[in-house]
Amino acid sequence: MKAIQVKQVGGPEALESVEIPVPQPKANEALVKLAASGVNFIDVYFREGRYKTSLPFVVGQEGAGVVTEVGAEAKSVKVGDRVAWCGLHGSYAQYAAVAADRLVPVPPGVTDHQAAAAMLQGMTAHYLSHDTYPLKQSETALVHAAAGGVGLLLVQMAHNIGARVIATVSTEEKAKLARAAGAHEVILYTQSDFESETKRLTAGKGVDVVYDSVGKTTFEKGLNILRPRGMMVLFGGSSGAVPPFDLVALSQKGSLYVTRPTLANYIATREELLARSAAVFSMVATGKLQLRIEYTYPLAEAQQAHRDLEGRKTTGKLLLIP
Amino acid sequence: MKAIRVQQTGGPEVMQLAEVPVPQPKPAEALVKVSVAGVNSIDGYFREGRLRTPLPFIPGQEGAGVVTAVGAQTKLVKVGDRVAWSGLLGSYAEFVLSPEEHLVPVPASITDEQAAAAMIQGLTAHYLVNDAYKLKAGETALVHAAAGGVGLLLVQMARAIGARVIGTASSEKKAQLAREAGADEVIVFTTHDFESEVKRLTDGKGVDVVYDGVGKATFDKNLNVMRLRGMLVLYGMSSGPVPPVDPAKLSEKGSLYMARTMLAHFTATRHELLSRTSALFSMIAESKLKLHIAKTYPLAEAPQAHRDMEARKIAGKLLLIP
Repeated sequence: MKAIQVKQVGGPEALESVEIPVPQPKANEALVKLAASGVNFIDVYFREGRYKTSLPFVVGQEGAGVVTEVGAEAKSVKVGDRVAWCGLHGSYAQYAAVAADRLVPVPPGVTDHQAAAAMLQGMTAHYLSHDTYPLKQSETALVHAAAGGVGLLLVQMAHNIGARVIATVSTEEKAKLARAAGAHEVILYTQSDFESETKRLTAGKGVDVVYDSVGKTTFEKGLNILRPRGMMVLFGGSSGAVPPFDLVALSQKGSLYVTRPTLANYIATREELLARSAAVFSMVATGKLQLRIEYTYPLAEAQQAHRDLEGRKTTGKLLLIP
Repeated sequence: MKAIRVQQTGGPEVMQLAEVPVPQPKPAEALVKVSVAGVNSIDGYFREGRLRTPLPFIPGQEGAGVVTAVGAQTKLVKVGDRVAWSGLLGSYAEFVLSPEEHLVPVPASITDEQAAAAMIQGLTAHYLVNDAYKLKAGETALVHAAAGGVGLLLVQMARAIGARVIGTASSEKKAQLAREAGADEVIVFTTHDFESEVKRLTDGKGVDVVYDGVGKATFDKNLNVMRLRGMLVLYGMSSGPVPPVDPAKLSEKGSLYMARTMLAHFTATRHELLSRTSALFSMIAESKLKLHIAKTYPLAEAPQAHRDMEARKIAGKLLLIP
């Protein structure tokens, strides 16, 4: 089969198109013929070696396809099932052997492309808005990087819940995307200070929750715009890691909460994984959640996909088609 | 009137009985004849100068008494009302001035001693289990310093909710107090490692919430005894301030939450102050909450009260009677 493999970590050129044997599913695994694979920043981190795994490895953490073979002990899926998954290596390939209890069914109303595009970012937006801080109607959320992959989905979910969304973006073009997704207010942080703007937009009260995937450059100001007892949800660090912070800031700024969640902890049990993916797929199928699949690439063009992703010229989801 | 005055910060001896004029209420203030003042560790922090206020000052943040005069614009209280308060300096005296919105009515079923003893520690325990982390029946809470002033009340309230309570205490004698208050398990942390004990007692799962007024000494281990997505509520730092925290720790240990809370933020509106105190006083009147008043001292013996408090020999609430 064809696959994209990293033999030595490095730049996009480290992604090599190779011909390797179709993997054999272990007892607890199923073999999935991939229809689409999602491209994510985490793939870049593994490719660069910032995140470690043993070499060589087939890249890719997210995909959708059809089960073609199951191991002896794999009970949760059968041959012919349309499935999707995330969080396990090997999706940049024609076939992947995946732990069966990590595969979720894809309902008929959701295409393979949609399923592959929604797993990581869709479930992330879902756990953030429904579990980490369960947003309620008429609450106000600040969403940083609102035109980013998770951002656009988070804005839509928050809007659907009935919350007011204040979004930050870097350009007017991205502001339009955030508005179209349902953001009530959009702050161009390159032109105005998001701290003072958020204070103005909330009449000095502050927001109930900040969803922050930017990290280093936004964290401290984020604490200044939370209402008393508000929550900082730090779920990424695209600008760099937040340095250690003094807890006194949390009490002085109003008995604030901080959490640093990761998706894996919100799909830790099969039950939760199924419930969460079903909820996201249902939003997609009913049109309540619009995915923005911007480009699809043939598998062999994985290098170009990474270049485009890292160049930050793209504003939507990138997929590889094996 | 007689009052305890601090002219220079320092040890207990800096608290001297003085004769000072009875203060006059401003338009929105009430003058209260203090019948009981509560002694709290925060009084020691102000006396030492660790917390700052202009000198000279009259210590004491908590008390109960009767309104004897009101300013021209007061609407919430009248002369003759039995009231209690917390969070304003000046309670170690025969009279104290208070903004009227800080005074709460004391029902007939509650004695002055009970009211004074319950304001800071009782309201703290109440907001911790009901708001900072809303404890539910069937959940497990770890309560540090479970035989301390807040601890004994917290244990009772957590039990009343139907939660399982694991307490920590420094001696077997204190452990017995915590058990009498309803703790299901008590770890004597001077002879047993609380981290391994909590893991054992929860079959490795960890607790839903840690209520911690200790701070520095317990912080690192706290992060190891919470379940996935569990919460650490830091409401005090009796062992010293916690060094700056790397937020990555929270994700590594399982998408944890952390809050650093203060009572003032949980009694910030008049509505919340009144509803919280009335819930607290009802629990006392119905004997659902037992206060542990250890000793009362004449006002002039305030230095002895502080010595006893700081020696940590007396478990329970200390009160001054002007």
